[in-house]
Amino acid sequence: MQFSTAENAPTFPTVWRHKKVVKTSAPREQQFSNMATRNVHPIVRVNGIHKYFKRGSEKVDVLNDLTVSVPEGEFLGLMGPSGSGKTTLLNLIAGLDRPSSGEVWVGDNLISQMSESQLSAWRTRSIGFIFQFYHLLPVLSAYENVELPLLLLPLSKSQRREQVTTALDLVGLKDRMWHRPGQLSGGQQQRVGIARAIVTDPQLIVADEPTGDLDAKSAGEILNLLEEVRKILNKTIIMVTHDPRAAERADRVLHLDKGRLIEDIVKATTGSV
Amino acid sequence: MKFLGLIVKNIGRNAIRSILTALGTMMLVFVVTLVWAILAFLNVALSEKNANFKAIITERWQIPSQMPYTYASTLCEGAATKPDDVRPMDSMTWQFYGGSIEKDRAKRGMNNVLFAFSLEPIKLLTMMDDLDNLPSATAAVFGKSVKALQDNRQGIILGRTRMETLKKKIGDTFTIYSMNYKDIDLEVTLVGEFPEGRYNNSAAINRDYLLAAMDAYQQKNGKPHAMANKSLNLVWLKVPDSATLGKITAQIESSPLFSNPQVKCETASSGIAAFIEPYRDLIWGMRYLLAPAILVTLSLVISNSISISVRERRSELAVLKVLGFRPNQILTLVLGEAILIGALSGLISSCLTYGIVNFPPPYGFGGIKFPIAFFAAFSIPLAALWWGPALGAGTALVGSFVPAWGARSVKVSEVFSRVG
Repeated sequence: MQFSTAENAPTFPTVWRHKKVVKTSAPREQQFSNMATRNVHPIVRVNGIHKYFKRGSEKVDVLNDLTVSVPEGEFLGLMGPSGSGKTTLLNLIAGLDRPSSGEVWVGDNLISQMSESQLSAWRTRSIGFIFQFYHLLPVLSAYENVELPLLLLPLSKSQRREQVTTALDLVGLKDRMWHRPGQLSGGQQQRVGIARAIVTDPQLIVADEPTGDLDAKSAGEILNLLEEVRKILNKTIIMVTHDPRAAERADRVLHLDKGRLIEDIVKATTGSV
Repeated sequence: MKFLGLIVKNIGRNAIRSILTALGTMMLVFVVTLVWAILAFLNVALSEKNANFKAIITERWQIPSQMPYTYASTLCEGAATKPDDVRPMDSMTWQFYGGSIEKDRAKRGMNNVLFAFSLEPIKLLTMMDDLDNLPSATAAVFGKSVKALQDNRQGIILGRTRMETLKKKIGDTFTIYSMNYKDIDLEVTLVGEFPEGRYNNSAAINRDYLLAAMDAYQQKNGKPHAMANKSLNLVWLKVPDSATLGKITAQIESSPLFSNPQVKCETASSGIAAFIEPYRDLIWGMRYLLAPAILVTLSLVISNSISISVRERRSELAVLKVLGFRPNQILTLVLGEAILIGALSGLISSCLTYGIVNFPPPYGFGGIKFPIAFFAAFSIPLAALWWGPALGAGTALVGSFVPAWGARSVKVSEVFSRVG
C-alpha cells in the first residue's frame, strides 16, 4: 500500500511506502551495528543556540551555546534533570519556539528564521508530534484524530482515507478506528498518537515523554513501535525521556544539564563523547 | 468545509451546555422577533409614499376622532365647492364598529369579539393599503367577496384568522352585539374573506347597513342615537402628489363647513403617527432599550458559553496549533461553533415564532395582541424567517469574538510536559 498525495501539492512527499512490519529478533547490538551503513547526512543541525527566558527583571538561561547534529534516520534520546533544557531544545527543533540566538536547521530549512505562519505550514508537512498525555481530541474517533493534520493539506477525502487507514494499520489499530479515545486504553491512545504523528509522512518525529503515562508493558510496546517506525519508514526520532529503559532503545542519548550538553552516548560503539 | 465536521463535533462535546445556549438564544430571538415585527409594521405604516398619497382627515382636537356623518360627502370631495377647486382621485369613509358574537358581556373575550371597518364596499378594492394592488388571481377572488358585500348590505367580510377564531364559515349568519354603538346590534351574514396577510384579523361591513340601523333606532326611539353625530371616524383621500395634497388640505381646513368640530387633513403616515402618539414612549423603549438590551444579553449568553468551552480545551487548541493549524484557523473554528449554534437556533426560533404567532387558535396566537391605534394585532412578517438566523449568527459573532481571540493566542508550550 502506498500513501499518495494530490498532484498539485509538489512540496508534499509524494510516496510513502508502507512495508510490512516485521519484528526483528536480532540482538540490540546487532541492530545498532546497522547504524554505520545508514545515511548519516544530518537532518537536524542546531548551531550555537542560546535561549533565555525573562522572569520579571531576571534573565533565566535555559540553553547555553548548544550545538547538536542529528543524522537522518537516527533515534535520539534527550535526557536530563528537570530544568535542564531538553524540552526547550525539543520545542526549538520542532519549530514551536525560537532561540534567543543561534541557528536551527531541519533539512534545508532554517526554521529559526521562519515566520509564525511559515512555521505552521512547515510543521504540518515536516514534523510529527507524540505527546506524553496523548492529547487526542476526545470528541473525535481514532480515525478522525489521525486525519486532523491531513485536513491542512490539499488532499481529497479518499486520499486522506487511504493515508489514515494505512497509518492506523501500521500501529495495529485499524479495527478500532471508530473508537473514541475514551474507549481506548492508554497504550492504544498512544498508538493513535503515533499514527497521527506519521500520517503526513514527516521527516522528523519528536516525542515528549511518550511512555511517561504508561505502565511498563504498554511502554515497552510503544517503544517497540517507535523503533519499527524508525526502521521501516526511515524516520528520524527525537525523544525526550526520564526513563532509562526508554533511553536504552535510542541509538544515541544526549544528556543535558543546566542548558549544556554534558554527555553524548552513541549506543553502537558504547562510546562517550 | 473540511472543518465543518470538527466544528459540529465540538458543539456536541458538551451537549447540555450547547442545548441550553441554543434554548437561551431561541428565547431571546423569539422576543426580539416579536418586538421587531411590531416596529417593522409601524415603520411601513409611518413611511411617506412618493406618489399616490393617501390623506387622512380626522377630528382636529380629539382622539379618537368622532365627526358627524354629514361631513362625509363634502370631505370626500376634498371640500371642493368651486369648479377650479382641486378634487381627490378617490376617497373612503371609515366608521369603527366593535362588537362581540357573545351576548353575555361577562363571557366576552378575544375569542368572540371583532372590530369592523364600516365602509362603502367597493373602496376595499381601491383605497385599502395592500388590497389595492393584489395579484390578479387573488384580486379576482376578493372581488367576488366585495361584490357579495355590495349586494347584501347585511354581509360581512372577515380575515382568515378572525374567521377561525370566531368559528364561522362563509354563509353563516350571526349577530354582533355592539360594544361602541349601544343597542345597535347587527345580524350579519359572512359573505367573504380577506386575502391572506395583514387583514387576517380584520372585518368589514357595509356602511349602508350601519347607517340604516341608526335610522331605525331613531324611528323606534323617537330620538337620534347617541353616536348619530359622531359616527364618522376617518375619511381617506387619494391624491396624486404632495402639491395636490397641499391644496386640498387648504380647502378643507379653510372651509367653514367643518368648524364644529374642526378637522385636520394630513398624510396617512402623519395621521397614523397621531394615533400612535400616546404609545410613543412605549415604542421608543421597545426600539432603543428593549431590543438592544436583548441583543446584548444574547451576545453575553453566547460569549459565556464559548468562553467556558475555550477555557476547558486550551490544551486541545494548543495541540491543533502544534499540528499546524494557524491562529486564524483556530479563530475560525471557535467562531464557527458560536455562529453555527446562533444561526441554527435563530432559524428554529424564527420558524417557530412565525408559526406559533401567526396560526390562529388553538394552534397559535393568531397574531401579536398589541392593540395600539387601530391595529388590533400584528402578524410576524415572512422576512422574520431570516431575522432569526441573522440575529443568532450576528450576536454569536460579536459575543464569541473575544474568547475566540483568546483561543487564537493560546501558547503551544501548554501541551508539553513540564519536564524541563
